[in-house]
Amino acid sequence: MSAAVSRLSRIEAQTVIKPINILLLIGIMMPLVLLPLASIFIFGMGKGTGHLWESLTSREALFALKLSLLTSAATTVFNVAFGVFASYVLTKYSFPGNTALTVIISLPTAIPTAVVGFSLLLLWGPYGLLGQYLAEANLQLMFNTWAIILANIFVTFPLAFGSIKPVLESINVVYEEAAETIGATRWQTFRHITLPALRGAIITGALLTFARSLGEFGSTIMVSGNLAMRTQTAPLYIFAKFNEGDVEGANAVAIVLALMSFAIFTLIISARNRFLEK
Amino acid sequence: MRPITQIDWLEGRTDQKTMADIIPLAAVCVRDLTKSYGKESVLHRINFNVREGEILVLLGPSGSGKSTTLRLIAGLETPDSGEIWLHGRRVDSLRSRERNVGVIFQQYALFPQMTVEENIAFGLMIRKKSRREIQTTVNRLLEMVRLNEHRSKMPSQLSGGQQQRVAIARALAYGPEVLLFDEPFAALDEQNRARLRREIRALLKNIRIPAIFITHDQEEALELADHIAVLNRGRIEQIGTPAEIYSRPQTEFVATFLGAANILAGRVSGGWIELGALRLALPEDMPRTVDGDKVKVIFRPEDVIINGCLPQRPSNHYLGRSVIGEISFIGSYERLTVNLNLHQSEPELARPVAEGPPSNDSVIITVTRPRWEAEDMPLGPGQQITIGLSSYTVLPEQASDHGAAGHIERHRRGVEEVFDEGAGI
Repeated sequence: MSAAVSRLSRIEAQTVIKPINILLLIGIMMPLVLLPLASIFIFGMGKGTGHLWESLTSREALFALKLSLLTSAATTVFNVAFGVFASYVLTKYSFPGNTALTVIISLPTAIPTAVVGFSLLLLWGPYGLLGQYLAEANLQLMFNTWAIILANIFVTFPLAFGSIKPVLESINVVYEEAAETIGATRWQTFRHITLPALRGAIITGALLTFARSLGEFGSTIMVSGNLAMRTQTAPLYIFAKFNEGDVEGANAVAIVLALMSFAIFTLIISARNRFLEK
Repeated sequence: MRPITQIDWLEGRTDQKTMADIIPLAAVCVRDLTKSYGKESVLHRINFNVREGEILVLLGPSGSGKSTTLRLIAGLETPDSGEIWLHGRRVDSLRSRERNVGVIFQQYALFPQMTVEENIAFGLMIRKKSRREIQTTVNRLLEMVRLNEHRSKMPSQLSGGQQQRVAIARALAYGPEVLLFDEPFAALDEQNRARLRREIRALLKNIRIPAIFITHDQEEALELADHIAVLNRGRIEQIGTPAEIYSRPQTEFVATFLGAANILAGRVSGGWIELGALRLALPEDMPRTVDGDKVKVIFRPEDVIINGCLPQRPSNHYLGRSVIGEISFIGSYERLTVNLNLHQSEPELARPVAEGPPSNDSVIITVTRPRWEAEDMPLGPGQQITIGLSSYTVLPEQASDHGAAGHIERHRRGVEEVFDEGAGI
């Protein structure tokens, strides 16, 4: 009797409950994620691709996209280099404060981006703690490209590090010992043995940093001044155009940013798969 | 002062004055090497030399300090005190990369992101050799280890034996002064082990670079070595040729670690050793003994002669009457456990060894004899036989391994333990 009951409930589970749950999942995702994403494309195509292309190739839009790519690239280069260096120091050397430093490096992502921007202004702004001395020397770190890069570095600080350090820690020390007995200096060992082994982690870390940096808004809008054709990144451009009422202009760049993000995302997934196989 | 013999400087028994004579002779010279980790002493005053073209094997159980010794010579650790000399150059304060040594690690440690070729070329590449020189050397080495067809493969695509050969080629590429092998056969299966052992020995003899192996496998040590240094708990118990170590052990540990051993406790009396009512002649080359001294008599199972069996030599020392306990057929030889009566009363009849410990009057001896002899003269449990010894070693009571004394009860257990460990012949 109970066997029949359980068999029945199993069939029920397969043919009734399973599809209901799947539909429920998709149903929740629709208004929250799927539809908004789709809107970018649907709305943009609605007025015809001609208009879209015009908005996209306007000088301001192109500048914004180029600035975003430039600042993200600079941020990525710096943070990956730093990530490798920091991973090396914190893995190879034991000293009091080792753990503390690791935690501190991971802190920046937890801080609200508006706070990040604000704090940078307090430090480097024309009346800032250090900025005032810069102002006297006629130098400026805020409201220009440097500001954007500084803010992005802060916000994406732990991303490459977090990808690289675990891999470095997991590398068996015997390879470095072997290299040393063969006669390699520390640098030679690092360059020929350690770095190649970190290739996957470095690429993943770089992609994560780049993606995050590309979309950064909160800190950028505070430190850059949001001047069109000067310090306006792509997310800032979208914000500005929308506020002006130029929805098409905003839409065009939004589509490009969205596509770029999808592309990077796909690269990250495939990079992870490729290097996890090893 | 008598001239320094080969054995003297092999065992480090030379003083400071003669250092200048010794050091140039030896390829590797280790003096009073000591190392502790915190409170735990791992090595205590290790001394040995290795001659040019010679193979030295450091043999010992885990924890005996052999790995540490190798790492100290390689330069991967620094000693607390002592000296390490390579070809007359003192290296113990030098970094590993300055010592010009070649190390073959237990898991080979081939660089996973490089091909076989690149691995072998690594030592030359970091020394900024010309591409032509690198190419020539790598080709020569690939030929020597017979891996030419695999030159472009990655380490993960090779078998254990192939990886080992790459590791050797990689270590040889830059012309090291000594090769250090860290249990290189441990990761291989039984079949490959013996074959590769011989190949490597032949290779080393061909290129005449001195080598130091570490292992816990006695068979490996006996086959590979020109000299064996037996380590136990951070100290060298004995250094000698495989024949010396096996046939003339100087401590109980050495006797029981290499091959099986029977150990009997006896007492010196008037040129004889008394074992209960039995006796054996006291060897002439024994260090001075006084009547009443306690000694240990050590002999291997294959040294026991069953009366009526060959070889019959006048030098065979008669031991006594005994009863056979168990017989096992081990393929090329037959193993018997035998109850030797120490008091020459009627030997215990048909008392299987498994049934409880023998009385204090008798001891269990392990005997082996070749298969042909077993077929010629078959024996069965419970039979009475008389046994003699073709050779035996006598050690003073204190010559036990460091930290353990030898009692007659312990030696019985010792013999059982030896066979439990499978330390067969």
